[in-house]
Amino acid sequence: MTRLRSIIILAGMLMSACSPPPSENVVLLPVADDPTISFRVWFKVGSQCDPAGKEGLAALTAAMMTEGATEARSYETILAELYPIAASYGASVDKEMTIISGRVHRDNLDPYYELFTDAILHPAFAEEDFERIRTDMINSIRKSLRYANDEELGKAVLYDFIYEGTPYGHLDMGTVSSLENITLDDVRSFYRAWFTGQNLIVGLGGGYHDTLVFNIQEDLAALPASEPTQPPPPEPASFEGLHMRIVEKDCNATAISFGFPIDVLRGDEDFWALALFNSWFGEHRNSSSHLYQVIREARGMNYGDYSYIEIFPNGGRRQMPPTNHARRQQLFEVWIRPVQHAHRHFALRAAIRELQQVIENGMTEEQFELTQRFLGKYALHYATTTSRRLGYAIDSKFYGMHGEYVELFRREIANLTLEEVNAAIRRHLQFSNIRIAAVTSGAEEFKRDLIADVPSPITYETPKPEEVLEEDRAIMAYPLNFTEDRITIIPVEDVFD
Amino acid sequence: MRLFIHAMLLLTLSGGMLMAESRENGVFPYAYTVETLENGLTVIMIPMSGSGLMSYYSIVRTGSRDEFEAGKTGFAHFFEHMMFRGTKNYPAAMYDRMVTEMGADANAYTTDDYTAYHLSFAAEDLETVVKLESDRFQNLDYEEAAFQTEAGAVYGEYRKNISNPWQVLFEALLGKAFTRHTYGHTTIGFEEDIKAMPQLYEYSKEFFSRYYRPDNTVLLLAGNFREADAMELIRRHYGDWEAGYQMPDVLAEPAQTAERRVDVVYEGKTLPLLVVSYKGPALDVGDPVMVAGSMLEELLFGETSDIYRTLVLKEQKVQFISADFGFNRDPRLWSIYAMIKDEADIASVRTEIDRTIAQFRSRTVSDRQLADLKKRLKYSFLMGLDTPDKVAGRLARLTAITGGIDVVDRLYAAYDAVTPDDLRAAVERYLADERRTIATLKGRE
Repeated sequence: MTRLRSIIILAGMLMSACSPPPSENVVLLPVADDPTISFRVWFKVGSQCDPAGKEGLAALTAAMMTEGATEARSYETILAELYPIAASYGASVDKEMTIISGRVHRDNLDPYYELFTDAILHPAFAEEDFERIRTDMINSIRKSLRYANDEELGKAVLYDFIYEGTPYGHLDMGTVSSLENITLDDVRSFYRAWFTGQNLIVGLGGGYHDTLVFNIQEDLAALPASEPTQPPPPEPASFEGLHMRIVEKDCNATAISFGFPIDVLRGDEDFWALALFNSWFGEHRNSSSHLYQVIREARGMNYGDYSYIEIFPNGGRRQMPPTNHARRQQLFEVWIRPVQHAHRHFALRAAIRELQQVIENGMTEEQFELTQRFLGKYALHYATTTSRRLGYAIDSKFYGMHGEYVELFRREIANLTLEEVNAAIRRHLQFSNIRIAAVTSGAEEFKRDLIADVPSPITYETPKPEEVLEEDRAIMAYPLNFTEDRITIIPVEDVFD
Repeated sequence: MRLFIHAMLLLTLSGGMLMAESRENGVFPYAYTVETLENGLTVIMIPMSGSGLMSYYSIVRTGSRDEFEAGKTGFAHFFEHMMFRGTKNYPAAMYDRMVTEMGADANAYTTDDYTAYHLSFAAEDLETVVKLESDRFQNLDYEEAAFQTEAGAVYGEYRKNISNPWQVLFEALLGKAFTRHTYGHTTIGFEEDIKAMPQLYEYSKEFFSRYYRPDNTVLLLAGNFREADAMELIRRHYGDWEAGYQMPDVLAEPAQTAERRVDVVYEGKTLPLLVVSYKGPALDVGDPVMVAGSMLEELLFGETSDIYRTLVLKEQKVQFISADFGFNRDPRLWSIYAMIKDEADIASVRTEIDRTIAQFRSRTVSDRQLADLKKRLKYSFLMGLDTPDKVAGRLARLTAITGGIDVVDRLYAAYDAVTPDDLRAAVERYLADERRTIATLKGRE
């Protein structure tokens, strides 16, 4: 231990009776009886900072820091030291945020802290790590994203489509060619420019001692002091009508997602009203979702149907909303899980028609009250662990919000009125100008059907109640008004190439 | 296994019994209570301070393992869906509405050995949850039309899963590795059986009657609640549930005597996949060699293993390599998985796996290595216990396999006692060539 460190620890011990001095650059969440300590170090850099032609550079740089060697330790050594303490650290990169996070049992804090800070302060950027990590990323696009998960592929295509022409308009991981275009020197330069002492916020949660707060700030102050200039918020191009990108792929079901940018961010006045609406319309992976009731429950067409007012990546693998995807621009999104190809046209019509109905008619008093009661308690599940609470606390800092997020959320939901919710729906949502992504087989045929607006009758193998059949007749003829120039077909081999 | 079931029945016949557990030395950090009702329903209660949330797991000790009749693969999973279709007291819409009003995070899943129904909710809603859950487990009632609609949703789930090459490979692997035992099919089942599910309405009632019985079910409660209150509710609402579990006629798998192979072509593009699966044992924490065997997953194929260093870090031939030497009710598979970057390297990756196992036969693991592994297992377990839902979820499999919770401390005590000799003996016993099935999958060119 260095002499400086000893002095800092001593100072920390002396001060531990009182709270550490408030700092603009720290988010603290002490939980005395939590035997673990959670770290989240937020660097204000994300894929929006990727240079043109080198998309994926932020993600690759962060991965090099957390999945590679440091100057003092080979990656093998790091894994060996983490192994007995059953701990790890990793990076998540979104459009605007990079989070280096980890968690350790307090019995093992000292060895873990050394490794965690070493990864941030002294990454080696070794050639062999670079080749391994970059190849893995390219393979993830070429093989996994394109061929192993049609739903995530559809959503990734949708996000690019919605944010085309803005710094948000590319996959965080980049494309095959942009990754191939990145050199190790690019990674080093990017690290020096963005991973600086003035560009980070330290988040700590759990059963830590105050000395840790001092130590980590002091240690990370060794990073270069510069404060890089952030890009301006993205301004997605406005568009009219329904626009669709269809990925042609040999697959046995059609994955569909659609959406459009919205001008509401977490903490805005209308955010809470939209959150309540969204929970009713499409609570993620929850049978209370209205879309789920219409498409899956009544008709058995697929596995589930949900909606979102904030970005929600990897929905298939998580139940609760992700943290640390805070952004200055958000979108409204509907996710229709895979349906038989024969039902794709009907499913799309059904979802957009439901959206139109709620915009025109609003939620009913009964729907509103039920959802208000549901969300008031369901929100307790958003942040059950210290690490997730810390994630929310960091997001709150991003959005300039104060207080514990889940408590605030519950309070705001409880205070809403039906009129406020319906007014917010009308103000921010619409059903005429939508971007849609689909992954399907027989894309040309789908395109022809859409342009001709042919009826899309649906048949069932099992009997259905008359009210369902009657509604079907309305759905199958629901006009979508596509035009030829607004539908593009892309072979799967070309996606993110 | 049969002996174990008999022991369970004896316990059941001996009448309701309260076993207040007093724990001092185990690794599991929470005190708990276990009670068994006269009808055989086991209730495990783990009070935890904290958020005001609690977790309620209903574990039915029936999974795809129990689908022993032809044409019925996938039925345990399908039936899990039907459990959300309501009763006369609480029709599906009312059940959904009540769960919604509670703001509960409610879901279910099916595995090879068990089916779990779980809710996480504010502790003040415990009484409602007990009412709802006890009702659907005793009085499930659905129309044929609802049954058939749900079959459509299950087929949708199959279609979603099958776009994943691993699912395609597992179907083929299990079919090859097992000739008689029901572990020969995946939990979601064969496509032709799923397609035929709408015709099995009557059978679904039979399935419910055979397996959804108190003597085949464990309730696992964790979180912010009082045990006496919970127990009073449970006695009141589950006390009349009739015992009557019928054990399925699951055939024992004959000993495998020669290596098997299966090669699959995937109708899409993917990196090649390789799985080397050895016939593993049933869970038996009293057998130090079995327990040692389960530790080989980490020791031989974990992130600090020689093979990881060679194939992932140095030669970079694989996208990843990992192993799963998990716990099952009957002997199943202990498998090593690799996603290989270049088809030309499949053989050399296999050779490297062989070499890893062969080398271990003649090498003694160091004290440091073994101590590190034991420490890792302990901390990995402890760090996964930070919410009621995680505690219950973490215990679900062990509880389902054994019917109890004491196995947890016994397992970690057994890990602690494992010696280098036990590890070598485990390699000899389980990782023999004739016990394995090698499966590969290649994408379409």
